[in-house]
Amino acid sequence: MSLLDFLDLIQTLLDGVMFGTTYALIGIGFTLIFGVMHKINLSYAAASIGAAYLSLMVASVAPSPIVYLVAALLGGVLGALVYFVCFRFLPLDKPLATLMSTVGMLLLMEEAIVHATAGMPLNYPAAFSGVVFDVGPFMLRGDLLFVFALGCAAMVGLKMLLEKTRLGLATRAVAQQPVAARLCGMGVDRTNASTFVIAGLLGGTAGAMTGAAIGVLSPLLTLPFTVKGLVVTVIGGLGSVPGAIIAGLLVGGAENLFQFLRGVSERDIYVMLMLFAFLVFRPGGLFAAPGGRD
Amino acid sequence: MDFYLGLMQVIGVHTLLGLSAWCVLHTGQVSLAQGGFFAIGAYAAGMLTTMWGWPLGLALPVAAIVAGAIAVAVGFPALRVKGLMLVVATTAFAEIVRLVFFNFTWRVETPEGMVGPDGGLGFGGIRYFQSNGWTSTDVLTLIWALVAAVMLLLWWLDRSRIGTLWRAVGEDEVAAQSNGIDLTAAKVSAFGIGGAIAGIAGGLFSHTTTHIEHGNFSILLATFAIAYPILGGLKSLAGTLVAVVLIQGILIEGLRFLGDWRSLLFGALILLVMLVRPGGVLSAPLLARVAAGKAPKTKGPSIQGERRHA
Repeated sequence: MSLLDFLDLIQTLLDGVMFGTTYALIGIGFTLIFGVMHKINLSYAAASIGAAYLSLMVASVAPSPIVYLVAALLGGVLGALVYFVCFRFLPLDKPLATLMSTVGMLLLMEEAIVHATAGMPLNYPAAFSGVVFDVGPFMLRGDLLFVFALGCAAMVGLKMLLEKTRLGLATRAVAQQPVAARLCGMGVDRTNASTFVIAGLLGGTAGAMTGAAIGVLSPLLTLPFTVKGLVVTVIGGLGSVPGAIIAGLLVGGAENLFQFLRGVSERDIYVMLMLFAFLVFRPGGLFAAPGGRD
Repeated sequence: MDFYLGLMQVIGVHTLLGLSAWCVLHTGQVSLAQGGFFAIGAYAAGMLTTMWGWPLGLALPVAAIVAGAIAVAVGFPALRVKGLMLVVATTAFAEIVRLVFFNFTWRVETPEGMVGPDGGLGFGGIRYFQSNGWTSTDVLTLIWALVAAVMLLLWWLDRSRIGTLWRAVGEDEVAAQSNGIDLTAAKVSAFGIGGAIAGIAGGLFSHTTTHIEHGNFSILLATFAIAYPILGGLKSLAGTLVAVVLIQGILIEGLRFLGDWRSLLFGALILLVMLVRPGGVLSAPLLARVAAGKAPKTKGPSIQGERRHA
């Protein structure tokens, strides 16, 4: 392999890792919800894309930073909606019931998007799309760099929220021991609802970032996004936020690398095989949560 | 009339798909791999009849065996994990299968021209029924005879020792294991039998539609496969059939007059069924009530049992 090929390879890897922050955010959302409720919310990625779609309503009157902010807020609203419709009034001792209700929600959101936009992809406002930074032999695309920075900011924000606020304390307590948390006087239902809102905020950000990085939003994004998010969650280790971040960057980088080496149509085969390798050799993921006492 | 015959064919194929997921769900595992086994069966049976001129009667069992064998091979590593991890592992498997068929080209020369899978363009010309003069009614009879046979087989399995083992594992793995049940054997056997049934369903699907492509076998198909038994209720085989008729017959075909709004309503109705009847349409308390023929309100052990299921 010549030096030029090698540089290309590193460049591809860099781009992929930067785009991987969106996967990391989606993975964090899945992991947060799994952490507190031990349930999967399959509609999460669809809600994230949905929030980005809804934020397009202000795109004609507001500059793009406002659009991204609106997407994040709408993500939070959709998160609360999903919690109340799909989880709050269902018996939580039946995992299949909430699984199916979130699948129903996923289909509903996807169809709502298709119905509202007639299935056409819509342009999404990008940030710094023409800007390119040269760092040594590599170039960093401005839009990807922005996505990377936004993703990192969201992660730092989440870390502060989980570690410095009372809400974060309650979230971690409920994730560790719901019964003990209830005995200490914490509102488990309220904490669950706010976790959905937090995850929704991250999801909305991820949806906006995807739109900004790709330049368009399409209803075809929802299913691949759901699958990638779940892959990231499992590789990172269920319930582990740092794991989801590292796995997100890993999946983003690996995906771009496989695309560079084997072409776009075979790319996902290798990503999935990577997941299988993790399941066989390290079923707990990168950072498995320590086993609870219950 | 042909439209209704076609609809009945779709319902039959999807019932088989739902039954394949029912086997796996019975052991308490949520698998999204059924769509992958369905795809394997569809391609295997289609290739055997078109490319090498096998009769369908031989191609279907071979497709079932291939799908079942792959299910067992995948089952050993995949069933080491459970819950969400299994959902993701099986999703990954189904995506791998889909993408492999997306990149899969193998064309051979036959008297009717070049046939075989052609990568992203799909696999067309599976015209076994047409070239052998089968009418729609014949096809329908074949499909429903197979549905009946599979249902009878599963009904018998459910009442036999194997069914008891599967249910025991599904109700409580720890309790089952401490009673000396081999968890791996129970899960992998359910996975294998489910895979074989999905293979038959896939073989029938490819021959009734005559053209298949990777897009037919997305995660959505696998989601439907597990939705049927869950919506119908895991306690009875009839529940799966009821759910397929409800979804394919009434929701997808019966609501055509709603136009675009139909697909919107579809997700909402799945949600509604789960909110109103979290144990499925034909849940254990309902079945017990029908069997005993008495008024509700009795909170017997059957309700307790179902709560712990899954």
